[in-house]
Amino acid sequence: MSTWAARLDNPVSARLRDPAVSGFLGIFLGAFAAFLAIPPIEARTVTWPILVGIVAAVLGVWTVTRGRRRLGWGAVAAGVIGIALGIAATRSSTGNLDAVFDATLIAQTLGLTTPLLFGAIAGIFSERSGVVNIGLEGMMLMGAFWGVYGADRGGTWVVGLLVAAGVGGLLALVYAFFAIHLRSDQIVGGTAVNFLAVGITGYFFVQLYNNAPVPSGVSLLPNVHIPGIGHFLGAAIGDLNILTWAGFALVIVSYVVLFKTPIGLRIRACGEHPRAADTVGINVYAIRYGCVVLSGILVALGGMYLSEGPEGNGSFIFNMTNGRGFIALAAMIFGNWRPAGAFGAALLFGFSDALALKLQVYSPQAATMFRSLPYVLTLIAVAGVIGRTVAPAADGKPYAKQ
Amino acid sequence: MSDDLVLEMRDIRKEFPGVVANDEVSFEVRRGEVHALLGENGAGKSTLMNILYGLYRPDGGEIRLNGKPVSFSSARDAIQAGIGMVHQHFMLIPVMTVAENIVLGIEPHSGLLLDESGAEQRVRELSERFGLAVDPTALISDITVGQEQRVEILKALYRGADLLILDEPTAVLTPQEAGELFEIVRSLQADGKSIIFISHKLNEVLEIADRITVLRRGRTIETVPAQGATEESLARAMVGRDVLLRVEKKPAEAGDVLLAVQDLHVSDDRGIEKVRGISFDVRAGEIVGIAGVDGNGQTELIDAICGLQKIESGTVTIGGRKLTHASARAALDAGIGHIPEDRQRRGLVLEFSIAENIALHDYAKPPDAKWGWLFPARMVQRARTLIREFDVRGGGPYTRAGGLSGGNQQKVVAAREIDRDPSALIAAQPTRGLDVGAIEYLHRRLVAERDEGRAILLVSLELEEIMSLSDRILVIYEGEIVGDHTGDVSEEQIGLEMLGGKERAAA
Amino acid sequence: MSDPGPTPSPEQSAETGTLAARLALKQRAGGIIVPIVTVLFAFVMSFIVLAATQRSFHTALLAFKEIFEGTGLNWIFHPTTNLITSIAAYNLSQTLLETTTLILTGLAVAFAFRCGMFNIGGQGQYLVGLIIANWVGVDFAGLNSFVHILLAISAGTLAAAAWAGIAGVLKATVGAHEVITTIMLNWIAFWFGEWLFGAGGPLQNSTDASNPVSNQVSPGARLPDFWGPQGFQGLHIGIFIALAALVVFWALLNRTTLGYEVRAVGFNPDAAAYGGINVKKNFIRAMAISGAFAGLAGALDMLGGTTNYQFGQLDIPFSQVGFLGIAVALLGRNTAVGTLFGALLFGALLYGTNHGLGSGSVIQPELAGNLTYIIQGLVVLFVGADILILYVWNSRKRLRRKPPAKSTKAAQAPA
Repeated sequence: MSTWAARLDNPVSARLRDPAVSGFLGIFLGAFAAFLAIPPIEARTVTWPILVGIVAAVLGVWTVTRGRRRLGWGAVAAGVIGIALGIAATRSSTGNLDAVFDATLIAQTLGLTTPLLFGAIAGIFSERSGVVNIGLEGMMLMGAFWGVYGADRGGTWVVGLLVAAGVGGLLALVYAFFAIHLRSDQIVGGTAVNFLAVGITGYFFVQLYNNAPVPSGVSLLPNVHIPGIGHFLGAAIGDLNILTWAGFALVIVSYVVLFKTPIGLRIRACGEHPRAADTVGINVYAIRYGCVVLSGILVALGGMYLSEGPEGNGSFIFNMTNGRGFIALAAMIFGNWRPAGAFGAALLFGFSDALALKLQVYSPQAATMFRSLPYVLTLIAVAGVIGRTVAPAADGKPYAKQ
Repeated sequence: MSDDLVLEMRDIRKEFPGVVANDEVSFEVRRGEVHALLGENGAGKSTLMNILYGLYRPDGGEIRLNGKPVSFSSARDAIQAGIGMVHQHFMLIPVMTVAENIVLGIEPHSGLLLDESGAEQRVRELSERFGLAVDPTALISDITVGQEQRVEILKALYRGADLLILDEPTAVLTPQEAGELFEIVRSLQADGKSIIFISHKLNEVLEIADRITVLRRGRTIETVPAQGATEESLARAMVGRDVLLRVEKKPAEAGDVLLAVQDLHVSDDRGIEKVRGISFDVRAGEIVGIAGVDGNGQTELIDAICGLQKIESGTVTIGGRKLTHASARAALDAGIGHIPEDRQRRGLVLEFSIAENIALHDYAKPPDAKWGWLFPARMVQRARTLIREFDVRGGGPYTRAGGLSGGNQQKVVAAREIDRDPSALIAAQPTRGLDVGAIEYLHRRLVAERDEGRAILLVSLELEEIMSLSDRILVIYEGEIVGDHTGDVSEEQIGLEMLGGKERAAA
Repeated sequence: MSDPGPTPSPEQSAETGTLAARLALKQRAGGIIVPIVTVLFAFVMSFIVLAATQRSFHTALLAFKEIFEGTGLNWIFHPTTNLITSIAAYNLSQTLLETTTLILTGLAVAFAFRCGMFNIGGQGQYLVGLIIANWVGVDFAGLNSFVHILLAISAGTLAAAAWAGIAGVLKATVGAHEVITTIMLNWIAFWFGEWLFGAGGPLQNSTDASNPVSNQVSPGARLPDFWGPQGFQGLHIGIFIALAALVVFWALLNRTTLGYEVRAVGFNPDAAAYGGINVKKNFIRAMAISGAFAGLAGALDMLGGTTNYQFGQLDIPFSQVGFLGIAVALLGRNTAVGTLFGALLFGALLYGTNHGLGSGSVIQPELAGNLTYIIQGLVVLFVGADILILYVWNSRKRLRRKPPAKSTKAAQAPA
């Protein structure tokens, strides 16, 4: 071996030469290429994004030759897309760019992320125990309506939270009964839940409120105001809703519970190999029931954010969730069934949504494109581009105790 | 080793519909001994141990543990009483670590959190104490099968097992790993544990056991110390001298080679090589039987010949045509007929009618179909003929295959395969689970087909069947052919070779 | 090792069988009784909800009566072809319009189920059919009417087949679960439509730039209607196409080699492979054909309507016909005849609840519309519950033979 080769042959260098590293670096650089053209850096010439994007693509090709084909092509795609977005950004005026990419974008992102995050974590609990939950959309919707109802009739948003949680848990309990005890097909059950939720919320919306937005003055979920952190930070995170902060906490708590506690170990065992769990004395049924009900509670709380949060203003609209439950599902899959990953995915999707909202004025076309991004990304993820998404092994398979 | 009995099982009886699995079986284990439970498939070994482990309730008899009568209603009871069992199929979670798998259910914790380092610590202590080298932080999916087995043993030891049951532990191990296992068993024994070692491999049993109990057809035949026993004496006890069901047949008139396998190497889905250089021919007009214990490569061999499993190296030639790529279609077209060992999973679509099942290979060809259009009437017609010819009872051409009895289902499969006029017919466990009448029918049928000039390859776990039908007998052991016999050969000889015996017989 | 021997018990099949096998088992076990009972049960439960919230059985009964009249099924009692004087006839014509769509979306789901796959993407495939049919129907205005219609329908159907095919290919190549991929494709199709017909989109209405609405399909491409009052949307020939599709569905599955393969793969992929069938190819084929049915529904709807479809506003986002197809197929046990009756039922429900209570005198019409969702949900929920039916099946058998072995493990007496 030449001295060069010998010098290169050390653990750090081996790490760096791992194709996974170059692949992810390529994807990151692709995103960075686009990032270069927007505030705060706001490069005005196309050279920078193009250069960075090319590096990303090159890294991608290199990754492909080293064997990680899907990851490599993902990096190439990221590079190309980054260049395209960068060029698009440089074409827009700085005024427009500044208007779109300001501190409030961060706040909006975090706000839009909140229901998705609750939904994704809810899905994680359910699926980690082995029960697929397509009905997240429906349970979220229930939370959105009954949360408002609770806040209205109960007087404060606290009652609203309790009612939303209760109803979400109840619907989840019904679903759990069919899925776990009756061992019926879980996808069918989840679809039924969604139908039921639309029907029930719509029905009682008409019955109780005559289809008109809920009377004003309903207690809303309060924002948490942080004073004195400066102009930028203040606009970005100084006035976030209580549920948004709860969401952050939820990510940490769910990670700890799932991966650092005995109960979390047992939950995961039920989702990977229920027979093995059963033989060591774990009550698989009980754990699955608990996790499904918990998922119902959590996603309903996220749904309540839609109606009772700052954007909802205490009003309910028919079929308010409009697919957010499915985006939460997508975030869970994209995040590989881990809380941190789901958080990242939810942020990404929330950002996409926020961008779409802001771009609505300038370019409805681009706005629509960003609204569809979560689904496209998840499709790509499921196709295995960015590593395998690995569901818990026994996910969706009913367990029969023997 | 004293006469202190840690386990006594007296006159255990267990019946299942149609079969007595354990018939007044008595079995005892002294404290600190390694006691082997020996017997063929179907002898009753696993049933007995499942009873001991609380998975089955006995219909009669009693069990005493350390002198006290016990009755287990679940595995948990048995575990609490100090019995641990390492099954043939491991109950391990691939994505979790060794330590996590071992402590699952009784996790050490500090407050609300998992005590991961504590768990690892305890696992390390245990593994050092018993010589079970395994890395507590490794993922199950990353370790070898031999290491997985050690994890299962550790699982039992972690829960305080004093009496360990090892069910066919070397079935999944390489010879080296088997050697390592024996070391572990000895060190467990030195620590005062008692071990029940279930096996059908004579050489291993003689090496590791202190005493050996032989079961045959649900009965205890004998219990002997390993000291004075030999492979021959054990084989005789296992196989016995029962009367055979011999089929009337005239001697074979072998013709051309219709099926040839040359230096075949096949790996299973996990990448382990299961067929290690097998070569043999089957001629027209002869029945070649492959005898062997389940799991020695028969399944992979047949799958490779039929185009269902990839061939690593070597060739398969059917009717003169060499098969290179794994394709069921190609093998079928070359003239293979296959009665699969799992008729419900592979042989039949249970929801289809008999007629549709009979058409399974050739539904796309005339007369069943033309240019993509199906003619069910013709399928039904053919089915009717075959139902009559093969005496299929329980329904007509429109009857759902799932509604037939096992014997009749198998007849449908046989009818389909034979009607295709294959040059070579492979029958894998053709009479598994069938009643005597169906067995007789199929045996006569196979001989008849042989007389018609077909080449027949019979693979069976039932030695009697092989002996009564085959013109030539090959014995497969650990992926290789270890015996090739024509003419008269004794059951014990075959049995010996099946179990890895060392004696070489003259061909 | 000796084996289980006899056919696995229904409980075992339910747990170990493929999706198609489980559904077929339910069909055999339940016959025609179970779907009827399921529907009745769903009706009864929603009746209770209605009565409880309106605090009056009488109101609920009246409401149900009005819904029934809204469906137009009461036309059977007074058949007449005069649509002006007979509201029932008009209602029936509208109900049948809904039925047309639902037959096709139902067939889409049913076909995929037969191959063991769950196609939740009917809504997206329907949209694709809608969009492409609009595009072809708006352009090529000079074509002969028959050719134009044929072209638009074919284009829509093929496009939707390709859309569903994406999910099929993903399943065959990387093993991606079709439920996830089709759900994602649903929403991608939706946003694609929003983009196309939204402000500034390529297919947006050329005369009205402020409205996110499509162009009207050219008159030459409209499906002729034959049973409707002048100036109103009547029942068009689409119904015949849908009925023909039922026949095609049946014929494909039961009289072609393609259908044989699809069914074999659905029931038992292992045996199918052993029989020489290419399992992956069939996954793709079945999904594509499934999508084609849904796309056909979209194409017919686009070419049959007098109004242009409004993306971004009321009609399209909340159109649930794709999802209703799931209920239709499950209720109809994935058969052609069953789908027909299921489509009739839900078509009647859809139209009857939305328009039967139009006067608002008994209960608010929106209440009834939501009631449909509840009924839908209940039907799908109960239809998915295998065990109830298996329980009934077993108790029937139990009366005829002595109790089976103690546990399923017992039946597998190993050595």
